[in-house]
Amino acid sequence: MPKLIPFLLAGVALPLLVNAQDTETLTVYTHPSFAAEWGPGPGVKEAFEQQCDCTLDYVVLESGGDILQRLRLEGSSTGADVVLGLDTGTMETARQTGLLTPHNIGLDALDLPVDWNDSLFVPYDWGYFAFVYDTEQLPNPPESLEELVNSPDDLQIIIQDPRTSTPGLGLLLWMKAFYGDQAGEKWRALSDNILTTTKSWSDGYFSLFMNGEAPMILSYSTSPAYHMAIDKTDRYQAAQFKEGHYLQVEVAALVEPSDQKALAREFLQFILTPDFQRHIPLKNVMYPAIDLGDELPEVFDRLIQPEATLFIDPAEVAQQRQAWLDEWLNAMIP
Amino acid sequence: MLEVKDLTFRYPGTNTAWHFTFQVRPCECIAIQGPSGSGKSTLLNLLAGFLTPESGSVRWNGECLTDLPPWDRPVTSLFQEHNLFEHLDVQTNIGLGIHPGLKLSTDQKRAISRGLASVGLAGFERRMPGDLSGGQRQRVALLRALLRDQPILLLDEPLTGLDAEARSQLRNLLQNHKAEGKVLILASHDAEDRKILADKQLNL
Amino acid sequence: MQRSLSGSFPAPLSRPAWQVLPGLIIAFVLLALTLAGLAALVWRAPLPAVSELWENRYLANVIRFTVWQAALSTVISLSLGLAIALALVRQPRFPGRSLLLRIMELSLVLPTILAVSGLIGIYGRQGWLTTLVGDWTSASWNLYGLNGILLAHVFFNAPLAGRILLQALESVPSPRRRVASQLGLRGWWLWRTLDWPALRSVLPALCALVFTLCFTSFAIVMTLGGGPASTTLEVAIYQSLRFEFDFGRAALLAMVQLGICGALWLFVVRRGVAHDFAPNRRLAEIIRRPDCRGATRFKDSALLLAFSLFLLLPLGAILLRGLPGLATVAFEAGNPLFDLANATLRSFAIALPAGAFSVMSGLLILTLASRGKALSKISSIASALPLMVPPIVLGTGLFLLLRPALGQPSEGLALVALINGLMALPFVTQLLKGPLTALDENTVRQADQLGLLGWYRWRWLHWPRLRRPMALAMAYGTALSLGDFGVIALFGTPGQPTLPVLLYQQLGSYRMELAAGTALWLITMLLLVFAAFNLASHERGQRKRSESTIETLAEARHA
Repeated sequence: MPKLIPFLLAGVALPLLVNAQDTETLTVYTHPSFAAEWGPGPGVKEAFEQQCDCTLDYVVLESGGDILQRLRLEGSSTGADVVLGLDTGTMETARQTGLLTPHNIGLDALDLPVDWNDSLFVPYDWGYFAFVYDTEQLPNPPESLEELVNSPDDLQIIIQDPRTSTPGLGLLLWMKAFYGDQAGEKWRALSDNILTTTKSWSDGYFSLFMNGEAPMILSYSTSPAYHMAIDKTDRYQAAQFKEGHYLQVEVAALVEPSDQKALAREFLQFILTPDFQRHIPLKNVMYPAIDLGDELPEVFDRLIQPEATLFIDPAEVAQQRQAWLDEWLNAMIP
Repeated sequence: MLEVKDLTFRYPGTNTAWHFTFQVRPCECIAIQGPSGSGKSTLLNLLAGFLTPESGSVRWNGECLTDLPPWDRPVTSLFQEHNLFEHLDVQTNIGLGIHPGLKLSTDQKRAISRGLASVGLAGFERRMPGDLSGGQRQRVALLRALLRDQPILLLDEPLTGLDAEARSQLRNLLQNHKAEGKVLILASHDAEDRKILADKQLNL
Repeated sequence: MQRSLSGSFPAPLSRPAWQVLPGLIIAFVLLALTLAGLAALVWRAPLPAVSELWENRYLANVIRFTVWQAALSTVISLSLGLAIALALVRQPRFPGRSLLLRIMELSLVLPTILAVSGLIGIYGRQGWLTTLVGDWTSASWNLYGLNGILLAHVFFNAPLAGRILLQALESVPSPRRRVASQLGLRGWWLWRTLDWPALRSVLPALCALVFTLCFTSFAIVMTLGGGPASTTLEVAIYQSLRFEFDFGRAALLAMVQLGICGALWLFVVRRGVAHDFAPNRRLAEIIRRPDCRGATRFKDSALLLAFSLFLLLPLGAILLRGLPGLATVAFEAGNPLFDLANATLRSFAIALPAGAFSVMSGLLILTLASRGKALSKISSIASALPLMVPPIVLGTGLFLLLRPALGQPSEGLALVALINGLMALPFVTQLLKGPLTALDENTVRQADQLGLLGWYRWRWLHWPRLRRPMALAMAYGTALSLGDFGVIALFGTPGQPTLPVLLYQQLGSYRMELAAGTALWLITMLLLVFAAFNLASHERGQRKRSESTIETLAEARHA
């Protein structure tokens, strides 16, 4: 009898081993606002795990830029299968690492203000940069970029530093896209209105804007949706500029060294389905990448609808960024 | 017997050099005399091992002490002040003199209590040095020195700040200690101390 | 073991090697980690030409500004800290004194984002004080610019300076204090005989410490600086690493930073750490100073009150915003309370070992200092090193070296604790150096003679005197780790946040109310840490400190 025990144990253990192999793990590198409790992360995880019969793991990094940096640092030994949280500003640099591989999925479901047919990157949400203002402090906000640039000194705004923050870079590109070679001059004119440039969006929004330090802050056109839907207040709105707004698209991509490519592609496909996208509007506070139809919260109807979409090709951004930053610095330093 | 031969010392950066040569036998006390700054404390520190001499030797019963660190020398020092550890109580202060890990036998602990009683500090075991007068502190320090029971006792103005009665009481203790076969080296301004305790004199 | 001539057995752990080796090992590990971090960056990318530093107008401006704002901040912080320390030493007893000391300890470990938020709440354009002053007078002021930077730096560093200077002033030997008291010395002479000698040994290192802190300050300068003209070197480094991925440039800039701060520390170290074996009776002996009465008392009270307000108001602002936030945390659906509790536990699981490690290494490195000039220099440099290297550089470099090897998440957390512990080293050594070395010469000689070496020396001589400073040092180490965000982000576990990470997650998701609540909770935890360690360090049956009577001059004869 005792001799049978090892066989019995093996008999019990074997199915467990087999089962263990069935549950594969998909590792997604992302940033805090996605993976947080109140972000889209948990909902997405639940939905995907139901569908794929696998485990979805988030590796949370400090910021979008950090995701890229981590990928570069880890190189081909990276544990990431998917990176989610890069944007149009950082795309090109990501492409140049050579660590990403074509997703090979159909992008027909996409509903973006621009045409998108990139082989590496799958958009998962998008938004416009816009200046969010406090209606109580500023009942009559500027209606165009030009008006903002030329407004008197008592209108103070908060922006982020393009050297350290993606929205900050977004504003730089916005000015460039509209003013072209005149951007430098316009920045000089705007500099009197700038209260301060903060290191990141979080620093500015929390410490400054919510303290009432300035009536306007550079943010997203979708920010007010959160205040309206969750905080139940109409106090904060976005200013619509006649010239148009700059577009930001957030993307995900498949990582070349991954050994879960099939699963990863399934996930990327999943991104473009309502099961994923319904978590975006109020949890990520951005526009969904596909048309959600009725599932889009009604507060989104009350958001500004820019008349024009400004966008510079990411490849050009990557090439010119240093020069444009230098131009900005020269304009801002007295 | 303690033999000091051509012990030379020079404070760094000065030109004055001290030279010491003398001998002391058990049951003897030598008094070191000289004006302030003439090297009394220096000599005591050299003998204790706190200063390193340039040349010369110190021998105790033929064994050379000069290369030994302070804790390996059979000496006990008693300074003018700051003998005690301010943050430890009287009993611990004395006890550490007997064993640095404070592993004392019951006999040793009793000896401490008896000793305290004999110097008029009965029941002071748990007191802190900060709560004692200068004279009381010196008595505790002296008690530690005596209980340590090393053959050589180095005394640097040990009886300063004591009243006449305490002075004579402690002088008696020192004399008894000397009679047990110890060597005393005394640096004191007080002529009375020197007269009563010392058998020899060294003039600096 | 052979008994020596004196008949004593050698004390455990008393071999000289024990005094030196552990500290030396830690110092070298520190040095090696730093160099390895830098080297890893350089290995990935070549260094750009050094001439770029002055040819590039932007970089030159950055370096100039960084030095300038750091120097100004240091001068102001130290002056204020000195004034406060003097006031505190003159008034040894008043209600709320220990609370003030706790708050002073707190300000340094406050996470930047919270401190800035609080400062803006009071001194910003819509700040409480600004509007109050604006209502009464026509004066207005702009927080954003050099004055904002200085304000924030002073907020952080003046209390630290005050604390360290106070400690130095309180360790003046009591015979000296008694003489001064009896002679009725005041003013210039009091300063010259009593205060200045005590401060002299501490000031150089303190200056270097505060300067380095202000030099490497990043988020404060950006937020309150007002624009790109106010940029520190760290921004350039951060940008190179995060956005340009120019590792070579980052390494070069990091070396510049190391060079400048390192030169400063070398200068300080050269002058020698004054091993002033000043007589030191019980540290807390209260002797009334001749200058503590009358008009001075009034001035001191006013100064201390103003300073307390200066520190408390921003904290109050955070409190006000945070209280409703905490209510939200407690009562909102989706168990944010649970998350907060988890994050708290996780934070402490890292912070407590980090604190312990920093105190241990601090002590070991400090013991090196008394063993000769060369070792003393190594000791000083090692203890200042963590300040000078930008955490992002060190982190990235270490990541390159170690990450592939790190398997389990718990290993990552252990590494975070280690790095956090090292980050606290400069403060810990500053706090412990004084009490460790300020021993009366004769007392030390007695200890030598009695054979109090190694373990015995620690047990009987050092430990009783170091209990309180160690508790404070441990509190600093723990608190610094509690508030850290940078390192945990690099090596932390997936999606299991510590308190600061939770805060940033909430901020990033617009959950401002929750964030305010978390912020308040974080501050409460910090205060708790300081209070707890302070309590734990009280001796059992705290003896009453009797005010010393003036003794005769004869007693005060110096050794």
